[in-house]
Amino acid sequence: MLNRRRFIVGAALIAAAVSYLVYAGIRTTSMYYFELGEFVARRDALLGETLRVKGWVKHGSVRWDAHTNELAFELATKDGGSPVPVAYRGIRPDMFSEGREVVVEGRYRRDGLAARQIMTSCPSKYEPAAGGGEPRAGS
Amino acid sequence: MPELGRLAVCLALLFAAYGALAGVAGGIRRRAHLVRSAEHAAYAVFGLVVIATVILLRALLRHDFTLEYVAAYSSSTLPTQYTIAALWGGQKGSLLFWTLLLTLFTTIVQAQNRERNRALMPFVTATLMTVAVFFLSLLVFMTDPFERLPVAAREGADLNPLLQNYWMMIHPPSLYTGYVSASVPFAFAIAALAAGQLGDQWIRSVRRWALFSWAFLSLGNLLGARWAYEVLGWGGYWAWDPVENAAFMPWLVSTAYLHSVMIQEKRDMLRVWNVVLVLLTFALTIFGTFLTRSGVISSVHSFTQSGLGPFFIGFLLFVLLAAGGLLAYRFPELRTPATMESFLSREAAFLFNNLVLVGIAFAVFWGTVFPVLSEWVRGVKITVGPPFFNRVNAPLGLVLLFLAGVGPVIAWRRASPRNLRRAFAGPVAAGLVAAAALAVARVPPGYAFATFALAVFVLGTVAQEFLRARQAMLHESAPRALGRLVGKNRRRYGGYLIHVGVVSIFVAIAASSAFRIEAQETLKPGDEMAAGKFRLRYERITSDENAHLSRLAAEVSVWRDGRRIGTLAPEKRFYKKPEQPTTEVAMRSTLSEDLYLVLGSYDPPSGLVTLQAYVNPLVSWLWIGGVIMAGGTLVTMWPSAAERRAVAYELGRAQVPAE
Repeated sequence: MLNRRRFIVGAALIAAAVSYLVYAGIRTTSMYYFELGEFVARRDALLGETLRVKGWVKHGSVRWDAHTNELAFELATKDGGSPVPVAYRGIRPDMFSEGREVVVEGRYRRDGLAARQIMTSCPSKYEPAAGGGEPRAGS
Repeated sequence: MPELGRLAVCLALLFAAYGALAGVAGGIRRRAHLVRSAEHAAYAVFGLVVIATVILLRALLRHDFTLEYVAAYSSSTLPTQYTIAALWGGQKGSLLFWTLLLTLFTTIVQAQNRERNRALMPFVTATLMTVAVFFLSLLVFMTDPFERLPVAAREGADLNPLLQNYWMMIHPPSLYTGYVSASVPFAFAIAALAAGQLGDQWIRSVRRWALFSWAFLSLGNLLGARWAYEVLGWGGYWAWDPVENAAFMPWLVSTAYLHSVMIQEKRDMLRVWNVVLVLLTFALTIFGTFLTRSGVISSVHSFTQSGLGPFFIGFLLFVLLAAGGLLAYRFPELRTPATMESFLSREAAFLFNNLVLVGIAFAVFWGTVFPVLSEWVRGVKITVGPPFFNRVNAPLGLVLLFLAGVGPVIAWRRASPRNLRRAFAGPVAAGLVAAAALAVARVPPGYAFATFALAVFVLGTVAQEFLRARQAMLHESAPRALGRLVGKNRRRYGGYLIHVGVVSIFVAIAASSAFRIEAQETLKPGDEMAAGKFRLRYERITSDENAHLSRLAAEVSVWRDGRRIGTLAPEKRFYKKPEQPTTEVAMRSTLSEDLYLVLGSYDPPSGLVTLQAYVNPLVSWLWIGGVIMAGGTLVTMWPSAAERRAVAYELGRAQVPAE
């Protein structure tokens, strides 16, 4: 008869494998998530990092080129303070417009955020039913 | 009228509180009249919640914009079917809907068990009523669906356009049904612990409920994926968003339970583990509701914060503490002497399947709450996205797929070399042949390759089981033999069918993640672009308008391998009432692949459009797999003649030692 111990070892091995996968996964895929204010306060340390920043699209800052699909705008606080330039190439998300709250995912460079994805928040009315939905990814 | 609705909800709360207390008191002191009284209270709660729901529905259909809820989630131009769907379109309505389902299931459970499980039922009723008290309290004290506006609105703000979709009509009810029916096994587990009836009785009583809940969770997840695929227009069906994870986690744990419970039935092992899985499934449904309602985790679309978060966390803690306390109290009685004998046994395969399923649930949980945890611990929010979940879950998923082939055919207790040869020689050979064929077809080695080969292995085990059974009854015609075979052992063959559906889903996920083609180009009329085997020509833009919305459609001619196959017209719609543009995907779906076209943008001055084209191979098999799973579940749940006899026998036996 096989004793309990061997099964505990087997189970522990699985638990260890799962833990390792989670640990390695987080190490290699995680990124910072900042509100704009936090980001501006510590941006010098973040040069070259891939991160997510939440802020508002500054009024009057949006430039959109339909030929090249290049979108440039400034991410700012709600009242337009501490703007950070954002450059993005791709489809302009449906919900993207001036004054709206967005989350920008991209690499922080000297000249601003090079976005690879722009996520727009749904309008404040929208309370999704449980289980429905995705981010409105703009990539 | 709305005041009546409010009154009904308040009364329902009182009755539910009484039902919970009377159930516990009647159960502990064994007073039959108290127990009956608790059950009658539960029926009354159901009646009152039905009244409240009907009143809210009536207000919606009559466009009574004096009600805050009606004004916020519907409008006078909203089509009727979506006006009904608005019942679960917003938070207040969906909590009422949840309560409706909970009390409906309570009623059904009580009716089913009028003559059975008399020792358990007081505590079952009490547990379900306690859950009802929680939701009714939210409706009474926190989010009143019958709240009046100070000044009636002239028009409603309308339902979010993204929810105006037929998948959205059936996805939330299905998911809620799965969520809420998980309360029934939970209530029975609590009752078994409370009453000290720790044998198999409670497990047999909830087998069908657990399957029912699992089936609707499966369906809800798939319908949600289907909705995301059709409506959101980013080319995929699953993004590991917190609200998706919220629905996925209870499904995983519930799947684990359905497997491990078989070990308890056959070998009387894992009693504690089974109780834990049932408790965990329920806790995860509450946690899931918390995730979607609290805004604690920044899902891109739960930006609305509702302030209910602390209540859900409080209730969750209460549930975990109460259940954990009961479990600790009964722990000595729950332990069983039986032990695993060999790694090469069905028990072991099921146990590992359980560990992997719970491991996946843990990984998903960890990834979902990681931003919050990191903020607490390190003061910085760190998020993980789809790459994390894919990287962790792909290898675990493969192990699971492998075990799906091993578990059903390996022997109980200890597999002999002969059993192993007999069970696995054929399927393993089939898997190896498939792998060789894939290599010849130059499928690059990787997860997709492994998934396909393992899929053939699993299908091989299932096919072998059916063929062997067929050989034993060669004197009958094939369909008749199949019918008799399945009829005789519904659980077994229904289970095989479910596995076939699962294989189909695995293959679809692997193929569509590994071999999807994406193309994006900015075109003027007459320009062409290529996407895999497809050639696309943008012909012209058309537009039209009605009271509800205006739309732009890009007409695109499509060729596949040089042969013209038709025209697709992806659209952009501009809804008028919540002013909002949405993307309407155009799709050509076949068994081998989906061509998925999105009108990315249209620039009127220049006439340029940007088209996004995705070629997603084998996605159809995701939905087909879902249908197969549903069929298998039905087979499994259908009562067999033997079972009906067993129930009749138990009823007879139960009546002898009358109380």
